[in-house]
Amino acid sequence: MSTISAFTSLRWRKVATNPIVIVSIIAVALVLVGQLVSPGFAAYGQVINMLRVASFLGVIAIGQTIVILSGGEGIDLSVGKVATFAAIIGSRIMDGRDANIVVGVVVPLVIAVILGLVNGLGIIYLRIPPFVMTLGMMGVVQGLMLAYTGGTAAGRAAPALTNLVNGRVLFSIPGALFIWLLLGVVITGLLRRTRLGWDLYAVGSNRTAANLSGISVKRTVLGAYVMSSMFAGLGGLLLLGYTESVFLDLADQYTLPSVAAVVVGGTLISGGIGGYVGTAVGAIVLTVLESLLTTLNMPNASRIIVDGVVLLLLLAIYGRQKRLRA
Amino acid sequence: MRTDTAKVETSSPRKTVWRFVMDLRVQALTTWVLLAIAVTLDAILQPTFFTLYSITSNFATFVPLVLVAIAQTIVVVGGGLDLSLGAVVALSSVLAVTIMGGRGDRIGLGFLVAVGAGAACGLANGLIVSVVRLQPLIATLATASIFSGLTLVVLPKPGGNVPAVMTEAYRMAVAGIPVSVLAVVVAVALWLLLTRTKLMRHIYAVGGDPAAAYASLVPVTRVRTASYVLAGAFSGLAAMALLANSGSGDPFVGADIALNSIAAVVVGGVALRGGRGGAIGAVVGAIVLAIASNVLFFFNVPTTYRQLANGLVIISALALSVLSPGKGAKR
Amino acid sequence: MSVLEITNVVKHYGGVRALVGASLTLEAGEVHGLIGPNGSGKSTLNKVLCGTVAPDDATIVIDGKTVTLRSPMDAHRHGIAGVYQQLSLIPELTVGQNLVLGVERTRAGFLSTTSARSAVTAVLGRFGPALGRGVSEQTKVVDLSPGEQQIIEIAKAVLKRPRILVLDEATASLHRDQVGLVFRVVREICREGAAVVFVSHRIDEIMQLCTRATLLRSGETIATVPIASTTESELVRLMVGEVATMAAKNTSLSADSSVLLEVSGLGGDVIHDVSFTVRAGEVVGLGGLQGQGQSELLLTLFGAMKAHSGTVLVGGKHHRIRSSRDAAHAGFALVPGDRGTQGMFAQRSIQENVSIVSLADRAWLRFLISPRRERAAAQEMVERLHMTIGGLGDQVSTLSGGNQQKVIIAKWLLAEPTIILLDDPTKGVDISAKAEIYGIIRRMTAAGASVVFNSSDDRELAVIADRVLVMYEGTVRGELIGEQVSYDGLVSSALLIGMVDEDSAAPQDPSDAH
Repeated sequence: MSTISAFTSLRWRKVATNPIVIVSIIAVALVLVGQLVSPGFAAYGQVINMLRVASFLGVIAIGQTIVILSGGEGIDLSVGKVATFAAIIGSRIMDGRDANIVVGVVVPLVIAVILGLVNGLGIIYLRIPPFVMTLGMMGVVQGLMLAYTGGTAAGRAAPALTNLVNGRVLFSIPGALFIWLLLGVVITGLLRRTRLGWDLYAVGSNRTAANLSGISVKRTVLGAYVMSSMFAGLGGLLLLGYTESVFLDLADQYTLPSVAAVVVGGTLISGGIGGYVGTAVGAIVLTVLESLLTTLNMPNASRIIVDGVVLLLLLAIYGRQKRLRA
Repeated sequence: MRTDTAKVETSSPRKTVWRFVMDLRVQALTTWVLLAIAVTLDAILQPTFFTLYSITSNFATFVPLVLVAIAQTIVVVGGGLDLSLGAVVALSSVLAVTIMGGRGDRIGLGFLVAVGAGAACGLANGLIVSVVRLQPLIATLATASIFSGLTLVVLPKPGGNVPAVMTEAYRMAVAGIPVSVLAVVVAVALWLLLTRTKLMRHIYAVGGDPAAAYASLVPVTRVRTASYVLAGAFSGLAAMALLANSGSGDPFVGADIALNSIAAVVVGGVALRGGRGGAIGAVVGAIVLAIASNVLFFFNVPTTYRQLANGLVIISALALSVLSPGKGAKR
Repeated sequence: MSVLEITNVVKHYGGVRALVGASLTLEAGEVHGLIGPNGSGKSTLNKVLCGTVAPDDATIVIDGKTVTLRSPMDAHRHGIAGVYQQLSLIPELTVGQNLVLGVERTRAGFLSTTSARSAVTAVLGRFGPALGRGVSEQTKVVDLSPGEQQIIEIAKAVLKRPRILVLDEATASLHRDQVGLVFRVVREICREGAAVVFVSHRIDEIMQLCTRATLLRSGETIATVPIASTTESELVRLMVGEVATMAAKNTSLSADSSVLLEVSGLGGDVIHDVSFTVRAGEVVGLGGLQGQGQSELLLTLFGAMKAHSGTVLVGGKHHRIRSSRDAAHAGFALVPGDRGTQGMFAQRSIQENVSIVSLADRAWLRFLISPRRERAAAQEMVERLHMTIGGLGDQVSTLSGGNQQKVIIAKWLLAEPTIILLDDPTKGVDISAKAEIYGIIRRMTAAGASVVFNSSDDRELAVIADRVLVMYEGTVRGELIGEQVSYDGLVSSALLIGMVDEDSAAPQDPSDAH
């Protein structure tokens, strides 16, 4: 085999096993299948709608990506609850009026940041494993919600927020998608081209070495959990704009899919390798899959089976861990 | 060449057998303390707490979580995690209730089916984690979906009848000891028996250091798979306990049993990275969690706020373990 | 018929050629040395033999029969047992449990404790003298010192009564007495008909123990020589291709060099009351017995270990060092003792590893990274340090040990430190890379920087250091200057300082001190 063809086949292999490529192909394939089965599935408006639904998961998964990248068995199980809490606080403050919109956005985000700080402090200073800390935080946030709402969710989103999220801006694309795109670009830039990003990858790859290389591991990890809760809060507010009113488990269902999106997107659960682009595409794939299954009128039972099988298949392609025998 | 005396290097202190015992005690100590607190609280709120009736019905609700906590311990000690155990319990229970069809003579068959189904699910989990080599957290999330779906296929809506003999026996007492309490004792006894086997020793080894275990001729793949199979089998037993308690089939049962079992395991002092800890701590942890849930119930907190209970217990457990001496300094 | 004949072994790791046709023959009753520079493939060959690495190609003949070794179990069945520097012990299990791990006797699946006990007692008795007081079957492995763990690892292999025993750098963390015991046991099992493959960087150990030696270089077998008729320098010449000359003494140190580092009363968990000065251009070595706080001193200076007391003055300025960032700002650099766990980011690229410390210096507003600038900086280092790499984007884990160490040195050189702390930088590095690292040190001191150097190799220390601080029990007890800095001086000072304080020390055999 000549060196040129050997070189290109190696490059092709690297491209073909790149998680982002694989997931993108699957996303497109799913849309095509949907179009075949139910014409109109791939219509512009439909696709835009699906992307909008994906955007909430996508935003929440930004934080999850950062936390998982930070290594040390990093994970944030509280993102769903934090998102819900942010939405609830936001809707209560805004109360359907534009006058309070700024406060209605800032206060939930500040609270989300504080919750993230608590997560981070517990994980760093009390050495509590992230799984456990954020699991406990889930319960705590639930208790806070109970105390804050007295059991019933009240309030409405400010019209400005609803317009921002749902309003058609360009080519009838809703604002939510632009916000997602903007956030995605900023985060990817942060990860790849800033010192913070390279520090994060270093911390995720080898904490001891990072510590001995002049990086403040504590600050990096703390920052990761703060960002995670903050983006969860942001996602919750976007959801609020979308649904206009809240219920007590608004965003709970986003927690585990956010982890799935991250892993499906090629980020290693052990940290140190991966990025946000994969997560974003992963969020899209998961959403398109759900849409497809709904369109196919699949009974609930089959739907969740398919969910599980697809996840396993994707992971089997590129999420496999190293063998013990080299 | 650097010459050396036979003196011990200053960087590693030597612990004696005594300190080893002290360590064990301290680790479990926080769990026992929590148990004491939980029991006291519940006793205050529920004056009838110590009657036979109340102990029977309390333990009756403990048993499933206790069994799943043991199951989770086995997997976690082996370095893994199983988030699908709730779905496994559900699937095993609907299969068993369907097969039994309310007939008392089919109870033995029911047990076989439940444990068998659990073990089969465990086998699937084990193979996916150790042969296909997917990360356990995500893989068992996916299989949880699959098992839940299958559960709905078998029994789309709550229904079915558990043989009356089973539910009655569950509420009886043998020689003054409630059957449900005996069930917990038997579960613990099973665990202790397990710890004397080569398989369990190997599970600890694989959890402690998989590469070292591999180089030590431990059949790592087989051992890991076996840990999930055992967990599935114990979950099958939990399914039977659930059925005996509730009297009918329910495909939506066990929704948060998986996360609760992890909470129990953590509260019980089992290390999530594997290789350390035992199921006795997890069993006590499970009981503490269940009692905490009862306590919240008395404050009129709806049961959907179960996670709040878990959160509080986990935080208390961790706070206690940080404050207690000896465990504070982590390596 | 030879006990073992392994030929035509080929193994590639991605683009790296670890073995390209290596071979080895073993006769019963012999101790066969396996030597070669790092990256020569010794470890890989051993791992192929022990079944933990799958070769691309190999022919393995044991006692005349061709076999395939697909797993450690296969190797075990053919009577092969291996001991590596990377241990196969489970930290939380006890010594007794570890010794029989994988080969436990059972009755119907349940562990049979009685038969295990007798085998364990026997082997513990054999290795007893090398273990400290209080080490028993019940001791948890995590509570043993690294040397004791290595002994248990060896005992574990011996317990299996192997036909072929592979000792791969098994003596690296052992004291002299422990090494002596291991040698005795090796000779015993050879008398019983077994064959031993012995890998060590220490040529004198090879000369002392082996009957024959096979040399590997760049993945293939160069020669097999009988030890009796070979000399040390001959072996070294065969390995490197030329006699390695140690760097000449330091010429950048002049009488009026200014004091660069002044440490007073530094104390922490392990070290206490450490005071010394270092002048610009000086190489100060840390001597004394192993494990007397040398690594801890470096870590404390670097802010990686907590200091309870003391002051550190760099260039006359006082610095409060509580983290590696503080240390870096003060002008320190640290190349840690264990590059795998402490020094490098294995999964990340060479580029990132080299850039990471000094990113802020080259980034816009100390925040935004310019890929072009980073590439240029890394490329410059690759050339300056003569690193052999595929591309800057390759994972660092694909490099050889010597090159990995160079990456770690490179990342610190980019930060332009004035005081470089080196903790055993040439451990596990082959002779030519060692020489290059000494050259790097010389160039750094010529530019006015200072070096504090901890080494487990007294010969190396004798050549490279201008002064040596002899440490004992966490503090500096003595100092060697000028003529005193010699191999003999180092060895005797280490012993004497230890002896002066001990009332009930283990008896020292003076003839043991080389």
